[in-house]
Amino acid sequence: METFNHILNGFAVSTMPINLWYTFLGVFLGTIIGVLPGIGPSAGIALLIPVTFGMNPTSALIMMCGIYYGTKYGGSTTAILIRTPGEAASVMTSIDGYEMAKKGRAGAALAVSAIGSFIAGTLGVIGLTVFAVPLSSMALKFGPAEYFTLMLFAMTAVSTLTGKSAAKGLLATILGLMIATIGIDLQSGQARFTMGVAEFQDGVGFVVVVVGLFAVAEVFRGLEDIYKGTGAATMKITGKLWLTKEEWTRSIGPIWRGGVIGFIIGVLPGAGGTIASIMSYTTEKRLSKNPAEFGHGAIEGVAGPESANNSDTAGAMVPLLTLGIPGGGATAVLMGAFIMYGIQPGPLLFQNRPDLVWGLINSMYIGNVMLLILNLPLIGIFVQLLKIPSGILYPLIIAISVIGAYAINGSMTDLYLILLFGVVGYVFDKIDIPVAPLVLSLVLGGMMEQSFRQAMTISGASPKIFFGSAITITLVVMSVISILLPFILPMLKKYKEDGKDE
Amino acid sequence: MTDRIIFVGILVLAGIYFWATSQIPTLEIGDPLGPKAFPRLLGVGLLIAAAMLLAEMIKESKAPKEQPGEETAATEPQDTSSYKIVAGAVVVTGTYFALFEPLGYAVSTSLFLLVMTSYFHKGKTWTNVLTSLLYGFLSYYAFTKLLGVNLPSGILPF
Repeated sequence: METFNHILNGFAVSTMPINLWYTFLGVFLGTIIGVLPGIGPSAGIALLIPVTFGMNPTSALIMMCGIYYGTKYGGSTTAILIRTPGEAASVMTSIDGYEMAKKGRAGAALAVSAIGSFIAGTLGVIGLTVFAVPLSSMALKFGPAEYFTLMLFAMTAVSTLTGKSAAKGLLATILGLMIATIGIDLQSGQARFTMGVAEFQDGVGFVVVVVGLFAVAEVFRGLEDIYKGTGAATMKITGKLWLTKEEWTRSIGPIWRGGVIGFIIGVLPGAGGTIASIMSYTTEKRLSKNPAEFGHGAIEGVAGPESANNSDTAGAMVPLLTLGIPGGGATAVLMGAFIMYGIQPGPLLFQNRPDLVWGLINSMYIGNVMLLILNLPLIGIFVQLLKIPSGILYPLIIAISVIGAYAINGSMTDLYLILLFGVVGYVFDKIDIPVAPLVLSLVLGGMMEQSFRQAMTISGASPKIFFGSAITITLVVMSVISILLPFILPMLKKYKEDGKDE
Repeated sequence: MTDRIIFVGILVLAGIYFWATSQIPTLEIGDPLGPKAFPRLLGVGLLIAAAMLLAEMIKESKAPKEQPGEETAATEPQDTSSYKIVAGAVVVTGTYFALFEPLGYAVSTSLFLLVMTSYFHKGKTWTNVLTSLLYGFLSYYAFTKLLGVNLPSGILPF
């Protein structure tokens, strides 16, 4: 009953005019960021943190979450009209969406993405509302050992599931943790790994790392593409922005299935929106009576993946809000934003600040309605953004990044760091080292070390505490499995195939 | 080949990190672990990553070559001119940062945009000049005067 009151009260918070305005601003900026290639939700949120300092945290977080789920709506527009995913998770949409546009069905493709995103996005928020309370009350019983092993599992899962090589994923994770150890150690007051740079005593700010890895590096990649002269022709919106009856009946199944797949993938650590949309795409192709049409403009190939990557965002909010542990890159940046506002997401937040949590969750229902309006009747406005020549857009993104990085401390070190991390991000992309695990472990690193040391203090420096409860044992076993999985799977496959031969 | 370089890189990094960890001064009071324990664990983590990478490299070299044509393509000299473009962009950005405080935000940003757009958006001189100046000065005004963000004024009196 108390929870029910909290939820109702949350609606009062999220419908306050100021919060409606920030919800709108968030989803509006999110759509723009989604439409523009070269800048995604992680960089967008990180760049806004310094500008929103001093704002009421509830409103600021409502806006940042709006950016997070808003980008998924905008990303599909670019995917359909120029075959470039405006946002990584729209990559599947760019296959059949662009083919539909070539056949003069761009309007239908845009409509089905917006409607599918809306239905699945709302479905995801309902799931978030339902699962939040039981999960957060379970997490209240977690001690430092449980938290340490939970973070260990989140990081190992992200290491092996993002990118092509588990070893490189793990390398990225450890690098993030190493960057997190730079600065004054909170317990002993010792400076660590500052390399004589005074600014490093406060640690390397995660905003600079994110802006470097996600915005600056993306600009370098984009400039390279301009030089090479790659890129597909921009399609015009053709046909009515609505679906025919036949298209509607074909889409409704994929939307529901995509919504469920996306939510489940979102809750689990590691996989994220891109994998959710790929899974939805392959599911629809397998279920289809006409799988040959996929890749040549099948509406199911747009409806399913777009729905999946939207409910994925709501699913990804579940572990972030209830456990305080993000399961991927973009939610890690959101967590960094929470912390910079002095708010620790996690089970205690539901007890101490129900107004903030439920105000935020309920704003997502409203935000999805706003996004439907922005991305269907008003889509024409955002399509204009695609006319900005990329030769101007990319240099502008660097100039915007400069303001974001400099505004935090007014420090030149931060500017040189975004350039350094920009180069690192560009090189890592070339040699297949994923950057999402690095950001996740950078944000969690401080907490992970603290819970490790607290647990060891409780146990009198005996590592047995990490095998002390059913929860920790399960999490440790799952972590080990996720590290070994890439090695075990091919062996199992081979074993099976050998069995078949005989 | 790249993987071999990464493998050596990880080992070198692990060595440096172990050494740097040993340099952290410690006062053992109340905290059974001290500031060194977690970094040591990370050093071990790096070695695990190196071992996994080695395993992946061995697995790959044992795997049958899929297409002989692919290997010859890989040994051909790659087009490195696009890397030069990126290196150029890095140098221009670095110069922009070096001039950021001396010249001020508005002037250095306008200059940076002008240089970048005149290369990457060739031929549209007027558009480029206008965009660069407008963005540099308008964003300076908007962020410092309206949003209260501190940006260096440099050679400008305001």
